[in-house]
Formats: sequence, C-alpha cells, structure tokens
Amino acid sequence: MKTIKKLLSTSLIASLTSVILPLSAQATPADPDKMHQLYEGNCASCHGSDYGGFLAPALNSTTLKDRSPTALRSIIMTGSFDTLMPPFYGRLSDDDIRGLVKHLQSTPKLDNPAWTIDDIKASLKVYVADESKLPPKPVYDIDSIDNIIGVAARGKYGRGSGSKAVFINSTTHQKIGEIPTGTAAHIIDYNPANPRWAYVKNDTAEIFKVDLYSMQAVRSVKTGFNGPGLGVSRDGKYLMAGSYVPHNAVILNADTLEPLKTFELEGIDPDGKMVSSDSGMVIGTPFADIFAIALENAGQVWVVDLKDDFPVTKITDVGRHLHDAFLTHRGSKLMVASYDDSIVTAIDLKDRKIIKKLGAGCVPHVGGGSAVKVDGRTLGFGTNFGDCDKTVVSVWDLDKMEVVKQVPVDGGTESPAAHANAPYVAVDIISKDRRARTIQLIDKKTLEVVKTLDVGGHAYFPEYSADGKFLYVSAGYSGDEVVVFDSVSLQRIASIGMESPAGLFSHGRVKYMTRGLSPDEMEGAKP
Amino acid sequence: MRRIAFSGLMLCIIAAPSVNAASLYAGQSRAAAVCAQCHGIRTPSADAPFPPLAGRDAAYLQSALKQYRDKTRKSEIMNAIAGSLSDEDIVNVTLYYSRLKP
Repeated sequence: MKTIKKLLSTSLIASLTSVILPLSAQATPADPDKMHQLYEGNCASCHGSDYGGFLAPALNSTTLKDRSPTALRSIIMTGSFDTLMPPFYGRLSDDDIRGLVKHLQSTPKLDNPAWTIDDIKASLKVYVADESKLPPKPVYDIDSIDNIIGVAARGKYGRGSGSKAVFINSTTHQKIGEIPTGTAAHIIDYNPANPRWAYVKNDTAEIFKVDLYSMQAVRSVKTGFNGPGLGVSRDGKYLMAGSYVPHNAVILNADTLEPLKTFELEGIDPDGKMVSSDSGMVIGTPFADIFAIALENAGQVWVVDLKDDFPVTKITDVGRHLHDAFLTHRGSKLMVASYDDSIVTAIDLKDRKIIKKLGAGCVPHVGGGSAVKVDGRTLGFGTNFGDCDKTVVSVWDLDKMEVVKQVPVDGGTESPAAHANAPYVAVDIISKDRRARTIQLIDKKTLEVVKTLDVGGHAYFPEYSADGKFLYVSAGYSGDEVVVFDSVSLQRIASIGMESPAGLFSHGRVKYMTRGLSPDEMEGAKP
Repeated sequence: MRRIAFSGLMLCIIAAPSVNAASLYAGQSRAAAVCAQCHGIRTPSADAPFPPLAGRDAAYLQSALKQYRDKTRKSEIMNAIAGSLSDEDIVNVTLYYSRLKP
C-alpha cells in the first residue's frame, strides 16, 4: 500500500505500469538494488554481507570471474551436495537466480559496512520488559540446569523457521525449549554467575539473552553483520562479541545487552604488515576479570581488563591467522590455534606473554578444545581441520607444554569432546566423503583410536552430557537429527530431530571451564 | 533409518542372500547423495517447497522417477536429477524411501 502511494505521488504512469506488469517483468536482471537485497536476504548470512565470504566462499566479481553462469545457476538451484548450501529451486524464481548470478559476477567485494556503537544501541530489542516477573525456578522438571545441552540449529536455509537454539534435557533426551533466532544459531554461552541466563549468537551477529527457566528470549541486540566470537565474563556482568564484518568487537552489559565500548580490530601482523582484522575467539576466564580476544589476521591476542575504560594489553606475533582457543590451569593459560603456521600457541594470561608455540597438525581448529587428567598428567587435545596427507589429533602435556603425540585419525577434525567420567575423547571426522558420517573415539590412556561410530549425515560437534554418561553428536546438514550414544557402551540410544543441527553446548561447560576436566581438577590444577 | 538398515543386514545374514538387503543399503546411500539435499531423509525443511518421500508407495515413486527421467513428466530440476539415475538406482532409492517411517 505504501509503495503504491509513493509511486502515485511520483508518477502516475510509473504506478500504472507497476500494477499492469507482472513482478518478474518489472525487474530487469541488472537491477542492482533488488539483487543486493536478494543477496542480503538469502545468501549473506553464510557468504558475507560484504560479498567477502564467511562460512561459505566469497562471491564477487573476482572470485567468480571465470565461472560459467550456467554452472552457477545450477548450483543455486540444486544446492551443493555435502555442504551447507541448500537448493533454492522453488524459493527464488528462475529470473531472480539468473539475475543473482549476473549480479555476483559483476559486483566487487564491498568495503566493510559500518556498524557503530549507535547502530548497536538502536538495534536493542526488549521482549520481556519486567524480568522480575519471570518464574523463580525452571517451569519444567530438571534436576540441575547443568543437564541442559543447547543445540545451535542452523535451519536448512541458514534462516527461517528451522533456525533456532534448541535446549535438551540430557538425562531424558527430550526437548525442553526452542528459541527462534531468525538466522542460523551459531554459538551458545552460559552465564557463570546466574544459571538462568544463556546467550545465543546467530550468523547475522544478533545476540539473544535467553531465560532458561521460562525458555524464552528476553532481549536481543545486533553487534555486527557476522562473526561467531562471543564470551561471558566470570562475574556474569559483561559479554564481549567480535565480528568478521565489520572488523570490530564490543563489550556489552550482560544484563541489559547495552553496548559499553567498541574496539577497532587492527594491528601489525607477524610479517610486519599493518592489517585490519576479523575477530577470532572471544573468551572469559574463571582466572580473572578479563576477556581475551584473538585478532585473526593480525595474529594478536588482546587481553581486556574489565575495569575503568576497559584497557587493552596486546600480545603480538601469536601466529598467522588465529582462530579458536581453550583454557587450562584454572583459566590462567590460553591455548590459541593458528591456521596458517599449524601451531597452537600457549599464552600466560597472568604475565600476558607467549609461553611457547607447540606443533599441531595441519590447520589446527581446536573447537573449544579438551583437557583430561590421566596418570597425573593433564593432557590437552586439539583437532586439525586441514585435509592433508597426515591427519592427526594433537595431544599436549599442558604442564610441561610439550607435544605428547600426534594421534592418526581418518580425516580432518573440527571439535574434540571429553569428560572426566567418560573413557574416550571423541573427535568428528569432517572430510567431505563417507568419512563425514563418522566420529572417532580416542582412548584417554593409550591415546589410540579404538572405535569409529557411524552416526550418519555430516556428523560433527560431539559433546558429553554434564554427568558424562551420554555422548551427543549433531548429524548435521544431511542428517537433520541429534544422536545420543551411551558414552561407555557406545550404543545409540536416542535421536532428536531438527533441521541442520550444528554446535552442541552443555551447560556443564560453565563448571568444567574446558571439556574433560572435572570441577575439582579445574580448581586444583596449578595456576 | 539406521534401524531399518540394520534389520536389513540381519535378514541378509539369516536368510538366503537377499536382493532387498543389498538394495536397501544402495538405496540409502543414493538417497543421501541424490535426493536428501532437497527432500530430506524423513522430512524436507519446513521452509522448503519439496514433497516428503518417506513412506510413499514404491511403485508410485518408481513410475514418477522414470517419467521424470524420460521427460514425459516435465520439471526442469527433476528431469536433470532423475537423468543421472539408472534403473537399478531407481528401484533401490524408491525401495529405501518406501520403507522409511515418515
């Protein structure tokens, strides 16, 4: 109605044409505004709102230069097998698909769009104004909130009704709640100081504050265009979120989600070049009132003190293309994965300096990492997602900070799971063929692969329940279910259906700090 | 899905060599590779315009796939996809989907 009025006021002829002509005839394939909107509405959450790539490849005039438009059109129509790319046949008209191909092949990667602290402030949405009226305890039966496992369900199209955070009671394997997230849920973090709050970040960098007791979102805020980085401070008072687009990070009030300070992510990389940088992992630690954030391209880790004006200590030359990390020694040491030089760098968060660079496999992606205590040693496990000749899981002695073993596994891996009460460290094989259906189990004592589980789908992100009795695995984008195994017998005992489940996040993580450590060990380990 | 495949295997071991058991496996892997991207295994996406296949009559699915392959039934996308299936693939895939509980 609004559109028609506006057209009438500009030109009667234009309005008449717009009514008479069918929609497809109006839009010439080259209409860049319409195509840009189609791109933002269907593609950008995975391919990047700057056309520069995110979870999925960059789509712009440079990357698609020599590609056949027919082949691109058919990939958009049918999707791409064994990837997250869904079929858009029937969702987009053929004219739109052809128009998009032309648009992508003629559009350069855009400059980083701005998203300032004012934009963040203005994006705040309040769904429950009076939180004092929320129920004082869970409205469903559960022995302990730690038994909750949150699933980041992407939804087939990375957006829409299938995109949500699904919360499961890991003792009964029943769904207890679902929070719609608009676009694919990616990260779920829990408040260490108050068990009722969870924070869910989606692939368009919106953060939802979720009340686990009543299973509803109470607030949300948009911190950027994309990027998975999210951390919660040990006192539960602050969140920090980092983006790929734009290159910044923000500290938020964890209670109100109001932004307090933004940080431009740039610095001198290990090769001496000044670069603007994506945000890698953001982590709060039980060790101190700080956040640590990895600057992926700048190869730096920044330590932000949660006081005054949030001062920053910069640790440089950590590695080339940093990504994720895990904590050890009561959270005083941080193990940071560096993709391009295949190392994991140990950082002392107390002295704020590099302890040592440890060898890893190819393209280390520690995926939250794991640490287990075996025969008096604390061993860290790191996955490696490169699909090179020698695919391994790295095992380090975290006290001596040295490599213990590179355990051969069937393919590239993305995330290790461990639990003090479970005998195996589970890793997900992600190599793009039949192996993607499997999870391999490494015996904690012998450090050998002792069993391969055929889960089905694209199985990834293993996670133990808080009591260690059950191993949860996402059967991913071609499985559409979360599968539950007994962690000792490895019998398959339950399946929970949902669209394209990805990351699994046990509430128990709050207690363990790093998966595999018991709360006692976490407390007792030497700082 | 797993349970069906598994009971298929048991049949294979207990009974005489069974065509069904072998084709269920082949059907499962073909379905995962060719059909599931759009139709899902048990159900397609809630947002997707593709019909569910689990539990549908095998004979109907077979005739539909053959028509798509021979282009006597027109669909730009299905004509192309069914074109890649052999007679044996069609039998296996339709058997697999017809045995699945939706």
